[in-house]
Amino acid sequence: MTRTPRRFAMALLGAAARLSPPHARDWAEAMLRELDFVSGDWSALWWALGGVGAIFHQAGRSWGQKIFERRRRVEGPMDAKGKKAVGVVSGAIAAILVVLCAFGLLRLTDILFPALGIAGTEWTHWLSVIVIPEAMFIAAVIVLWRKRGPIAVGILVIAVALGLHVALHAAGH
Amino acid sequence: MKIRLSAQTLRVIDALLSQPREWKYGYDVSRSTGLKSGTLYPILIRMAERKLLETRWEQGEPGKPPRHMYRFTPEGLRFARSNAPAAAQFSRTHAVGLGDAMEWA
Repeated sequence: MTRTPRRFAMALLGAAARLSPPHARDWAEAMLRELDFVSGDWSALWWALGGVGAIFHQAGRSWGQKIFERRRRVEGPMDAKGKKAVGVVSGAIAAILVVLCAFGLLRLTDILFPALGIAGTEWTHWLSVIVIPEAMFIAAVIVLWRKRGPIAVGILVIAVALGLHVALHAAGH
Repeated sequence: MKIRLSAQTLRVIDALLSQPREWKYGYDVSRSTGLKSGTLYPILIRMAERKLLETRWEQGEPGKPPRHMYRFTPEGLRFARSNAPAAAQFSRTHAVGLGDAMEWA
């Protein structure tokens, strides 16, 4: 009698084999066939989970390649300036997302734990929205400066903008 | 370079090099390398895409589902042999590590 984890593993890999793109289907089938030889029901389940991860990875890689190819056909090869601009913009967007996440977390903590009184304490705002993100930006700029210069520039721009915002706020109050 | 030679890839190369003309099953390679399916299969897929590995379905006994098998292509074998010292070195280091761990266990 097939035990539950093994049955689930077979169902999982079977579904992955049916749903995977044609070029990955053979590999999904290969992992499914090996399942009969994996000793232990839980090991079979881990095998299946790893297999599904591998199929997703493979499918994602091919979709990424397709999108990249299509974009290249439509837009033509991107020149060096375009690549740099994309790097700067993506760095800036990533930095903005970090600040927004920090602010969101602060608000969420305030809503979930009102007893902490975070809304009334200014230092928590300074620490979570300014100090920690700025420290992260400086570290990221140092790490990325040589290998991913444009991204580092994008992050640096947002870090400076955030610093200026803080300075103006401090001067105004 | 044909493929990125990570520690895991070296392990797979070493396992396949032990009997280079023999067909091997994925689970057997997984057991001999200690790699999980989620790590092993992406490596096998990449090696097959770069024509370093050939694959085929084994037609076993009637009523039994076929299994997928792998072995080096001639080009793959040349590539593996050129990187064999690194693969063997890695396996030796890994084996020593395991031995130490077992002594401590």
